[in-house]
Amino acid sequence: MLAFARDWLPPRASDSELRALRSHLRGLGAELVIVGARQAWRLRPDDDLVALGELAARELHRDHGGREDAVLVLDHDGSVMFEHRQLHVDHSTLLAGLTAATEAMLSSAPMLFTRRGFVGTCVVSGFAAVVLAACHQKEHHDPDPAPAAAPVPAPVEIDVVLDVNGTKRPLRIEPRVSLLDALRERLNLPGTKKGCDAGQCGACTVHIDGKRVLSCLTLAAAAQGKPITTIEGLGQGDLHPVQKAFIAHDALQCGFCTPGQIMSAAALIKENRATTDDEIREQMSGNICRCGAYPNILAAIKAARGGQTG
Amino acid sequence: MKSVGTPIDRIDAQKKVTGTATYAADTDVTKVAHAVIVTSAIGKGTIAGIELANARKSPGVLAVLSHLDAPRVFAGKKGGGPGERILQLLQSDVIEYADQPIAVVVADTLERAQHAASSIAVRYATEATVASIEQALGSAFTSKAIVHGESDSNRGNVATGLGAAKFKIEATYTTPNENHNPMEPHATIAVWHGDELTVYDATQGIFGVRNRMAEVFGIPKAKVRVIDQFVGGGFGCKGTPWSHVALAAMAAKVVNRPVKLVVTRPQMFSLVGHRPHTIQNIALGCDAEGKLTAIRHDVINETSRFDEFVEPSALQTRMLYASPNASTSHKVVKIDAPTPTFMRAPGESSGTFAIESAMDELAYAAKIDPLELRMRNYAVTDPQMAKPFSSKSLDKCYRAAADKFGWAKRKPQPRSMRDGHELIGYGMATATYPANQQPASAKATAKPDGTFLIQAGTQDLGTGTYTVMTQLAADALEVPIDKVRFELGDSALPEAPVSGGSMTVGSVGPAVVEACTQLKAKLAATTDRSKDIVAEVKTVLKDRDLYSFHSFGADFVEVRVDEDLGIVRVARVVAAFAAGKILNPKTANSQFVGGIVWGIGMALEEETVRDRRSGRIVTRDLADYHVPVNADIPAIEVIQIPEQDDHVNAIGTKGIGEIGITGVAAAIANAVFHATGKRIRDLPIRLDKLLG
Amino acid sequence: MNPFSYVRPTTEQDALAALAEPGSVALAGGTTLVDLMRLEVMRPGKVVDLNGLPLAKIETGASSIKLGALATNTDVAYHPDVVAKLPALADAIRAGASGQIRNMASVSGNLLQRTRCTYFRDNVSPCNKRAPGTGCAALEGFTRMHAVVGTSRDCIAAHPSDMCVALAALDAIVHLKSRAGERTVKLVEFHTVPDDHPNVESVLQPGELVTAIEVPTTPLAAKSRYVKVRDRASYAFALASAAVALDVQGGSIKDARVALGGVGTKPWREPAVETALVGKPATPETFTAAAQLALAKADPRPDNAFKVELARRVIARTLALVAGGAK
Repeated sequence: MLAFARDWLPPRASDSELRALRSHLRGLGAELVIVGARQAWRLRPDDDLVALGELAARELHRDHGGREDAVLVLDHDGSVMFEHRQLHVDHSTLLAGLTAATEAMLSSAPMLFTRRGFVGTCVVSGFAAVVLAACHQKEHHDPDPAPAAAPVPAPVEIDVVLDVNGTKRPLRIEPRVSLLDALRERLNLPGTKKGCDAGQCGACTVHIDGKRVLSCLTLAAAAQGKPITTIEGLGQGDLHPVQKAFIAHDALQCGFCTPGQIMSAAALIKENRATTDDEIREQMSGNICRCGAYPNILAAIKAARGGQTG
Repeated sequence: MKSVGTPIDRIDAQKKVTGTATYAADTDVTKVAHAVIVTSAIGKGTIAGIELANARKSPGVLAVLSHLDAPRVFAGKKGGGPGERILQLLQSDVIEYADQPIAVVVADTLERAQHAASSIAVRYATEATVASIEQALGSAFTSKAIVHGESDSNRGNVATGLGAAKFKIEATYTTPNENHNPMEPHATIAVWHGDELTVYDATQGIFGVRNRMAEVFGIPKAKVRVIDQFVGGGFGCKGTPWSHVALAAMAAKVVNRPVKLVVTRPQMFSLVGHRPHTIQNIALGCDAEGKLTAIRHDVINETSRFDEFVEPSALQTRMLYASPNASTSHKVVKIDAPTPTFMRAPGESSGTFAIESAMDELAYAAKIDPLELRMRNYAVTDPQMAKPFSSKSLDKCYRAAADKFGWAKRKPQPRSMRDGHELIGYGMATATYPANQQPASAKATAKPDGTFLIQAGTQDLGTGTYTVMTQLAADALEVPIDKVRFELGDSALPEAPVSGGSMTVGSVGPAVVEACTQLKAKLAATTDRSKDIVAEVKTVLKDRDLYSFHSFGADFVEVRVDEDLGIVRVARVVAAFAAGKILNPKTANSQFVGGIVWGIGMALEEETVRDRRSGRIVTRDLADYHVPVNADIPAIEVIQIPEQDDHVNAIGTKGIGEIGITGVAAAIANAVFHATGKRIRDLPIRLDKLLG
Repeated sequence: MNPFSYVRPTTEQDALAALAEPGSVALAGGTTLVDLMRLEVMRPGKVVDLNGLPLAKIETGASSIKLGALATNTDVAYHPDVVAKLPALADAIRAGASGQIRNMASVSGNLLQRTRCTYFRDNVSPCNKRAPGTGCAALEGFTRMHAVVGTSRDCIAAHPSDMCVALAALDAIVHLKSRAGERTVKLVEFHTVPDDHPNVESVLQPGELVTAIEVPTTPLAAKSRYVKVRDRASYAFALASAAVALDVQGGSIKDARVALGGVGTKPWREPAVETALVGKPATPETFTAAAQLALAKADPRPDNAFKVELARRVIARTLALVAGGAK
């Protein structure tokens, strides 16, 4: 990698900057040449910074058309594969430039900006997110900068059996399929709704092992081995008391949040935490109703809890 | 045996509580493929380069559309109304707002489409972005795009009136950008059969979608069918078609398969409209007795660079109070943002916040009880149009609600009521919404088996259409309700207007009644019941020039403000509404309460924030954009004031979907002032504004 | 969400081996992981479902309660011993998220949950945490929900957990295990501040597993409460919150613990406030004066400057709440 950084100077490079640069290069199996105004330096992941001389700097300027403020990724032959231009490459922005150029290379496109953003090596509190296996599988001393095959497995489907509403339903799906999408798109059970797909609205509430949970944040593969109940299976033939109460008290309007409300309420009553009005309101706050049926939802839950439905 | 006026259970409730009501995205369509929209990361500029190769190579991907090669379609032209707004259909490389559609990925599974979409790389040429009105106030201008009235109005001489006033209030009130966020995200399933298009679309206006798709694709309206039997909330954002509908149909054409496109929740903040930020300047003057001598209400809201939308916040001010001098104006400022749209009581919700807060401020200045001030300025006839109201029972609303609330117990001094840590405040405001009506058609069929099928191409968004139309039909036919079935949500049915402006009941109701009345006559004239007997009707609007048509209400609110922490909670609400004939008190109550809940959200929680630099929406999910949750909502009591109106339409209804939100934000702001002595003129009222 | 391989080990040994592979991530309740994977913010190659492991027990010992890593938030928050002996912990967990999420979320997942910063989550903005070296879009952006303390020029993201604030106040200890062995870390030392490496959030090493969190059940811990202030009544993250433990005898404060949430890049203990309380009478004046010492080194942004005063008042309120119960 070649970085034209007019204002870059070794004395100004902090330990943490060099550490970060080395870490990045190590992950790629690459080396970096920094071309300043008059001098050039080479940085390899496990070596000291080496000055290449003013002549080398002049030649690099000449070879690459007097570029300023660009980070280039070169192949073995020195041909420019990718170029990242940014306003000013200096100590604070050099790593960003490398990062962006790296992403450009890995996504095989010349660009300034990736929609996906940098897929970086992050060691984060046990959730070790890995870039691409290319970075990890390569030995750090391997000088070959060519991108390797994608490390994430090609979509592989696995056999999953979901116990839904009392019936075992076999599926062949990718592990990334959520329980919500398994129900709606593959098991023809669209009663459970997708309101946000991010665990922020409660519309997707189902029961797993009798407990109310969000199916959008549950992987279908991880929901195996436990009984799952959806709104379609709550009544088991007749209407559940909560369903009856919702009708009688008009605890719904558009009805989209309703399956989630009912599943949540039914489980809440079983949890025995639906005692006072304020407690019910609080415990049902994980189910958003934009139509504002809350007062009637409260009334319906009290009626259903008390054994009455009307 | 009459059904109208009785609180029967919602007819579609059984389907909804069992999860068997089919919303657009629930529709089971064979071999459906999944489409995902990719949106822009910048707020203004052009696409300098877009790399699609990785997405196209991704497993399961059927097509990737972008401006480079999307089919040419008609995306709209300037100057059209909301139904003809300019859509972003991948026809150019221009970016007009952050999170604008710039590509569509279609794949055999949703997961594959989503992941492929994330691999699309875009290079932008970014331009300086004007992200808010405040960055461009000098460019405000008068737009012709206002709906339901003129941009400006004047009666008398406001300057003279203000000069003669003993007490004056002059203040600026602001409301933020807000997003509708119905629980059901927009969704479209598009299916082509040859050159005929069927869309299952989450919409408040199936005929609007039909007409727009015909125009986009250059095909006859008769070749487009739109179906939507249950809508998961709309509140205005589903009132007219947005880009995703056409993109779904475009994708279906390209891949030659049905395509399902569900808008993601973050995309709901930029793709499907919003309530614009308003800046409202109000001046009020009154004499020593509190009689208004002048009202001035000037409004500015933002619009996009490419379409104009006016939030008509000053419309109600023209007729709300008797004042000989009153002027209003509306201006817009173009910024780099999507085009706003109608959002529950567009104009009246934002506008009543301003005028009802100002009236409260005037009351304190004049040392007159806020309710008393309203009464002293009661407009018996419409002061702007100089016409009688078709009916007006606002005085009954004021008295009934004030009484139930216990308004008389209010100590006038701010900060004079408390309970431990909590300061207590009482506030009130007037609520109002116009009674709109449009022509509509309906068909009534008597079946040989003795049942009746009533049909109209209208919508039910939770508004209760299925239920009240069935009740109207049963009464008009004089048959038991279980003999009647009402169908809606299909453009193959008789044409009806969009379910917006609270006008479904007032428009479709008379058509249903008329059709049933004609059918009854036909039945009386024959004994042959071996075949279907049909009556179909298209209504014509009666002369609406003789009267001014509005619903009215009164909101009374108690708030509790934590003295140290600034937390505001609404402790109780009592409201009274007079909206003509109420067809079903149970479903009507739900509508009123639902509007009040919206008012609480508007007052205390809702704000769509855009990053100052890029215009990108920062509050882009339901964790950052707060709508009320169950624990925010106290006991809400609604009093339905009976009202007879023989002029508004053939069935005496006025529409109730939106009046509930009006006035509430002001009532809450007024209560907060009463509790704390702090006047907050900028919504939402959050604790940091009260920490002081 | 990227394609990944999914495994569900049945022994700790197998789990540790799987987690030691590069690109592996642990799945507990999924409320953080599935969310961030769907946003493409996290892209592990392998998801290791830990829910087959016997790590969900809540064990009451003589001097502490040990919360198994996979115990659900709900089970902890309503456990009678937790409610009786660690009330701030019960309060804190119940104040977080929703009933459904509490049923899913695990103790270790709550410990390791990631920031709600919108610029981190949008997968597009410059973000040193998500994409080291790209910058911090939040610094000059919308910062209502961001931290005012523990921040750096590289990151101001707040730590969103309620549970961790209570655990910080209650001197909790995190138990860790890897193939190399076991170790413990004080909770207050477990999370790290961003400094110039915001992509690192704790001292957890690759291949390491949280097995339990142990909380001493001291007399001090039994007199503790948690108060959370947010923009709506429920289902929202804290603007500011406080976990407080107070030992009052004869009207005089013998010992105190104070920790803040919503304002720090990690759960924020306030030793200055604690010191100022000890030896003083348990009165509102004492509480207010001591609370004023909190966040002395705060470095807020314009949008969140109000949190400094708010947090101080929340501390005072929580102190009064605990002291009120102590009488």
